[in-house]
Order: sequence, then structure tokens, then C-alpha cells
Amino acid sequence: MTWQTFAFVIVAGLAFGYSGYRLSILYRLMKAHRGKANRLDRIGDRVVAAIADVLGQRAVLRKRGAGIMHAVIFWGFLVITLGTLEQFVSTIYQPANFEFIGEVPYRVLLWMQDFFTLGVLIAVGFAAYRRYVIRPEGLGKSHDANVILTFTSSLMVAIFLMNAFHILGANPWFADSLPISKQLSRALATLGFGQETNHALGIFFKWVHMLIVLGFAMYIPSSKHLHVLAAGPNSFLKTLDRPKGMKPIDFEDESVQQYGAAKITDLSWKDALDLYSCTECGRCQDLCPAYNTQKPLSPKALIVDLKENLYRNKASLLAGKGDEVGPVIDENITDEVIWACTSCRACEIACPVFIEHTDKIYDIRRNLVMMESRFPAEVQPVFKNMETNATPWAFSSAERANWAEGLNIKTMAEGAEVDVLLWVGCAGAYDDRNKKVVRAFASILKKAEIKFAILGNEEQCTGDPARRIGNEYLYQTLAKANVETLNRYKVKKIVTACPHCFNTLKNEYKEFGGHYEVTHHSQFIAKLIAEGRIKPTKALDESVTFHDSCYLGRWNDVYEQPRKVIGALPSVRLVEMKNNHDQGMCCGAGGGRMWMEETIGKRINVARTEQALDTKAGVVASSCPFCMTMLSDGVKTKDMQDKVKVLDIAELIDQATP
Amino acid sequence: MNIYVCIKQVPDTETKIKLNADSSGIDLAGIKWIMSTYDEFAVEEALRLRDKNPGSTVTVLSAGPARVVDSIRTALAMGADNGIHIDLPETADNNMAAKALAGALKKETKIDIVFTGKEALDDGAAQVSQLIAEYLDAACATVVLGTEYSGSSVKVRREVEGGAIEVIEAPFPVVVAAQKGLNEPRYASLPNIMKAKKKEVKALKAADVGISDSDQKLRFKNFQLPPPKQAGKKIAGDPAAQAKELARLLHEEAKVV
Repeated sequence: MTWQTFAFVIVAGLAFGYSGYRLSILYRLMKAHRGKANRLDRIGDRVVAAIADVLGQRAVLRKRGAGIMHAVIFWGFLVITLGTLEQFVSTIYQPANFEFIGEVPYRVLLWMQDFFTLGVLIAVGFAAYRRYVIRPEGLGKSHDANVILTFTSSLMVAIFLMNAFHILGANPWFADSLPISKQLSRALATLGFGQETNHALGIFFKWVHMLIVLGFAMYIPSSKHLHVLAAGPNSFLKTLDRPKGMKPIDFEDESVQQYGAAKITDLSWKDALDLYSCTECGRCQDLCPAYNTQKPLSPKALIVDLKENLYRNKASLLAGKGDEVGPVIDENITDEVIWACTSCRACEIACPVFIEHTDKIYDIRRNLVMMESRFPAEVQPVFKNMETNATPWAFSSAERANWAEGLNIKTMAEGAEVDVLLWVGCAGAYDDRNKKVVRAFASILKKAEIKFAILGNEEQCTGDPARRIGNEYLYQTLAKANVETLNRYKVKKIVTACPHCFNTLKNEYKEFGGHYEVTHHSQFIAKLIAEGRIKPTKALDESVTFHDSCYLGRWNDVYEQPRKVIGALPSVRLVEMKNNHDQGMCCGAGGGRMWMEETIGKRINVARTEQALDTKAGVVASSCPFCMTMLSDGVKTKDMQDKVKVLDIAELIDQATP
Repeated sequence: MNIYVCIKQVPDTETKIKLNADSSGIDLAGIKWIMSTYDEFAVEEALRLRDKNPGSTVTVLSAGPARVVDSIRTALAMGADNGIHIDLPETADNNMAAKALAGALKKETKIDIVFTGKEALDDGAAQVSQLIAEYLDAACATVVLGTEYSGSSVKVRREVEGGAIEVIEAPFPVVVAAQKGLNEPRYASLPNIMKAKKKEVKALKAADVGISDSDQKLRFKNFQLPPPKQAGKKIAGDPAAQAKELARLLHEEAKVV
């Protein structure tokens, strides 16, 4: 046993012991969460996704510059860590090394290590340039980042110096496989040290390298660099499908006394893993419509603040005193933060490590609404309307079918034999502007000779606004009533012009026994056009820009059909806004924001309208009644209503179809 | 403190009112029923008073057909402690309702304060509060916008004609009729909704509180809907002709000038 073995075993033992202890605390904090999350289904899909997203860096590479930078560092560390491992092993027991894999593979490994050491050094240089010179807003300032960049670059420099002095001091047989280090050794040779000095310096820098690695290991659990351990598992345990329903609450279960998250530990262990995975890259914040219009919500800050809240309660949780944990709403996570979310899901789509921000916000809202009756005052009449008349607006359910007067549209109650049920939605039923959209869509259905009917006064709000605002109880009352009605008429196929109804009917009624084939009218019209059942012939010599609805796009991956529908108009020119497809910006109405005042910062609908006006298009096309309202208001605010029309895709097609 | 709230169940404000076959009342089919909005202010005020005075209870009363129990449950879900339902026919008038409510209140051991709405949303009669006070031989303050309590009396700010505010003080027992603006009624929390489902609502028959047919002082003979709103008219022509035509219409059709 040499002094090196002795020293290394003690130092590494202490370092890994400390690191392991810190990780065990994080594990215990994770286990202290009460919420449930089942993420061990479909293992095969999970393995495939994790290989692509972690090893392949798929999600990270969605952002070009920073993505490539990260991928180089990540792959570099994979390769270099093999070298570090070899170093550890041979320090403990000198003759042991990785040469047993054969000369050629060993040379390839070393060669890769040499090049990746330079690659990582360049990437870290770019990271520093980005962070300190370009300074993208999303990154912000981070003490952690300073430490990590110093650590990482020092590691690479230490490796080069170690290799170079080793080459000078010991001239190993594989020196040719370390071309960059060898080049460096030539430069260092000019220093004129003797062979023994060079040998000693080689060992010195090996220790510098090993000690930095061990220091890093100790630093990781308490820093944002924890993502190197958490993000991989988090990617493996992610929600696999893009469309996802909100977690239902079982109100029959009398053992549950707390609905939603009052404390951080009311969230699930997976939520905690989300917090551990965040590396504060700021991609979520860059796309957040609330953050970009000066609201107090930043999805990144929310995650950081939740983590801080969890750590603040560490002592109580480790002592098993869960009841001493403070509220999740604190000086950072205020009520305004929680209510600012439009649930557009841009943050989740942007996140390279699959953090699910919206679920946490929903859970916190559930507690505020159901347990504490604490929500913006203007929401109370919305709940009352939904309770009394099954619509968020103040209208009688007896008036629900008034939009169809004179159109000769049958209701299911009249025993109509139908191909498809037209789900009108509250906006289509009661809002004057959106009534026109539903009439246009009904007209298209008639022109295509589709047999359809409506539920008429039997239709109720799907409950989506209540659910997104946090009133799961009210949502379930409405959902169960609708499922009962739909199942009574044995409805199989549903089409709707409202993406919120679409999402709820399609993804969120299953848990209440409602299984239907649900299509959005954009998909339905696209199919009618493709099948030649609708032939838009009237030219529209105009440029049209399409605004993606969040609940159609990001929640359900429907981006192309509405564009195909617009493209079917003769002479039309489709122009995209700065933010489009999954990078599209919310109109500001999702997540129940449709019914809340917007008093802080710039209005989201105006910001989005400005993007639409920037395209110089004469028509802003929408496929969602809420977007329609928000964009129409936005165009009026900008005093452009005489020059720019906001139209639903159904109106465009109906106008153009004889 | 023994706090009571008398509430009335009324058709939802969005209801499209239709008359029944012989026009003696409204057609009740398909109506969504709610607690009269002013009564929500009364319930809220009662709950706040109770919460400031530990050991107090809030009891909610409503007189009417069986359906009104739903509104009592709404008040219980807001947080009221007890409910009392007095079974009265659909046709009961203000006097019968007030006498029934007062009769039920008299059965209670001690009454400190009774809250009501300043009027009901449906008939807008604004009589029951005063009648209850009369039957109880209690003080009464109506159209109340603000309250200040001592252990045995209340000082209220009430709205009077012309927007002026009158401040009066009344000793317990007192009936206080709430005006919009007194407070912001709460939204029932889910635990309270669950609890309210299980609470027992005491049921009283009309006879239990000394009500007979003769207590109905009003008989409803004939209801009429207001004339339907007419579409707007656009007057064409040059300004002089338009003005002349407008004057003619205001004089001959609208009969306002």
C-alpha cells in the first residue's frame, strides 16, 4: 500500500460519504411527500425515451447553441469519467487499469478522452461567454453557475497538465493516443524541468484533478448541479404522452382530508424529483406568457422557490414532524404567482428535463379554492354560474340552444340518428361572436351532408374552467353529469370547435367512464376537405396568420390540420408569427384566466396580437373561442379592427364554400 | 351569542320567467333555485359575528316548500351551524312567511340577533324583516351597510333615501336586514360542503309554529309579463327630417313628450 492509496481511500471515503449522506437526505425529503404518482408503467417506452433524451440529448438539443454546448459537455463527461474511474482504481491498486479492453479500444478511449477534454473546455468557455457576455435573460445570475464553471474548467486543465507531465515524466506507451496532451507536453518541455520533477508534477495534477472531482461530488447534492443525478431519472419517469389529463381526486375516499397542496409535501415525490432536476436554464421562463408580460410568475423561479420551500422545511421533515411544515404559499410563491398561470404549458414543452410546472400550480390552486375559498373575487360568480346554470357565463341553461334557432338542427332528445355529435360549448352557445363560429361550422357540416345533432339544453359546461382554476369538486359534478348524458345517448363520436372542451372530453372524461372518439373541428374540416366533401372554391387573396390554441397545440399536438384547412383556401398566403407551433404564445385566456382580471403588467392578449399584426396579415385565424375573444379584443385595443379581421377557420372555409 | 339568519329561496336570476296555465303564478318547471343574494350577505355577516364571539352559534331558517332545504344546506356549507325548515305552501305570502319564521324563532331559548336580506330577489317586497321584528317585539334595522357590535347591542349604518347614511343603535334582540355592500359573501369550502351534507335540518310543520290559512293576507289573482322589448328603430333622412320624425315618435308612440 503506497501513501497514495492510503490518502485516496481516506479522502474519497470522506467525500463520497458526505455526498451520500446529503443524497440520503434528499431521498428522505422526496419520500416525505404525500401525493401519489405512478410512473413505472410502460417501461419499454420509458427506456427508449430516456435513451433518446438523456444519452442522445434530444430534448436538450432542441435549443441549438446552448444545446450543442451542453451535449458536448455531457458526452465529454461520460467519456472522461471512464478515465477518472480508471484513475481512482489505479490509485487504489497501481497495476489495475482499463488496458485489458485491448490495445486498439484503449487507444480509441484515450484519444476520445483527449479530444473531449478540449471539447468540454471549449464548451465551458462558450458557457462562460454566454453567461457573462451575452447574458440571456432566462439564465439570470447564479452563484452556483460560477462555481460549476470554475470546477469544470479546472478539471479539464488539470487533466491536460496531468497527461502532459505524465508524458514528459514517464513517456507511457499510449502517449501517441493523447495528441493534444502530447502537443502540450512539447510546450511544457521548454520549461526545462528534469524528468523527476515532471513525474512529480504529473502526480500532483492527478491529485488536483481527483480532489476537484471529489469536491464536485460533495458540492453536487446541495447545488443546482444536482441535475446531473436527478435529470436522468426524471426523464425516465416523465409523463410519456403529450396529451395528459389532470390527476383526479377521489372525493369518496374519506381518509383524505386535505385536497390539493397546502404544504410542499402535499405534492408528490415526482414533484420533488422535478425540483431536484432543475438546472435553472431558463427555457421555461423565456416562453412564459405571464413572465413576458411582467406578471409575478416565472416558471423557473417557481421551481427554485418550491425547492427552497422544501429545504426550509428540511429539519421538520427529517424529524418526522410533518405538521410543522409551513405553507407552500410563502413570500416568494404568492397568490398572484399561482393565479398568473394560463396553463399554456409552454414551460413544460420547453423544459429539457421534463419538469411539470402546471401540475404543481393546479395542486396549489386546488387547496386555495377548495380548502381555503381563496381566489380572485371575480371568479366566485363564475363558480356560481357553473353550479346553477352549468356555464361560466350568466345565462340560463334554457337559452343554450338559442344560437341554433332557425337552423333546423336536431337535438339528441329528438331521437336524431347521427354520425357525430356537435358539442357546442358555452362560448359557442352564449357568446355572440362565437355563436357565429358555431353557425359557420354547422353550415359546413350541412354542406358536407354530415348527419349531426346537438345535446341542446342537456349540454353542460365540461367543467374545464372550474378544474383549471382548482375547483375539482365542481368539475367532477359537471363531468359526471355530462358523461351520464352522453352515455345515455350512446354517443360515440364528438366534434367540437372548442379546444378546451375537446381536451376535456377527449382526455379527462375517461376517468368518469366517458370514452368517445373526439375530434376538434380543425381536424374534422381538414378531413372533409381531404375527402373532397367540402370544396372551398372562393379565392381569398389575403395573407392569413394562424394563432395556435394551447389546448389544441401543446396539450394535444394538433398543429398541422388547422394550417391545412387554411391552406385549402384558393389564393391564400399563410404567414407564421414569430412564435408559432409549440413555441406559440398563449392568448392569455387559458387556465381559467378567461374569467380573471388582468391588472398586472402588459395584457397578454395585446402582446400576442402585436405578434400577429407584425406579420402584416389581413386575417388572424383562430380555432378556439377564447383565443377568438382575446385576439378580437387585442385588435380593437390596437385600433386595427378596420384593417385586420379575426376569424375562425370554420368561418374562412364556410365563406369560401358554395 | 345566539345568531339567526332567515333566508329565502328564489329563482336564479338568469331564469326566463314564464307564467303558469291560469296566470296565478309563475311556471315552476325547470327553474333553478338559489338563495336570495341579499340573504347571502346576511349569512356572511352572521358567520363573521360568530367567529368573533367564541361559543356563538348561527342557525339558518327558511319557510317554504321542501325544496328550500337545499338553500338551507347552501348556508350550512358556508359555515352555519344549524338549520330549521318550516314547511309552508308555495303560495305563502310575506305575512305568513314572517309569522312562521317568528314562530320558529320564539321556540328558541334566546335570540340575540336575526339577520335577513333587505328584500328578496323575486318579489322585492322588503316586508318580511320588519314583520319578523314586529312578531318578535324586537328592534329592526333595514338596508344595513355596516355594523359595530357590543355585547348587547349593535350600531348600524343604514342607507336612506338620497344616498345619505343613517347611524342607529339598537339593543338585542334585533333584526338586521343586509344591503349589498355589507360584506363579500364567502365561497363554501369543500370540507364545509361535506359537513353540510351530513347536518340535520330541523323540520317544522306550519301548525307547529301556529300558522293557519288565515295568516295568508294576500291572494295572487293574475300575473302579467312585461311587454316584450321592441327592436330599435333607425330613423332615415336628413338631420331636419330625422329630428322631426324623432319628435313625432316620442310624442305619438312613446308618449313621453
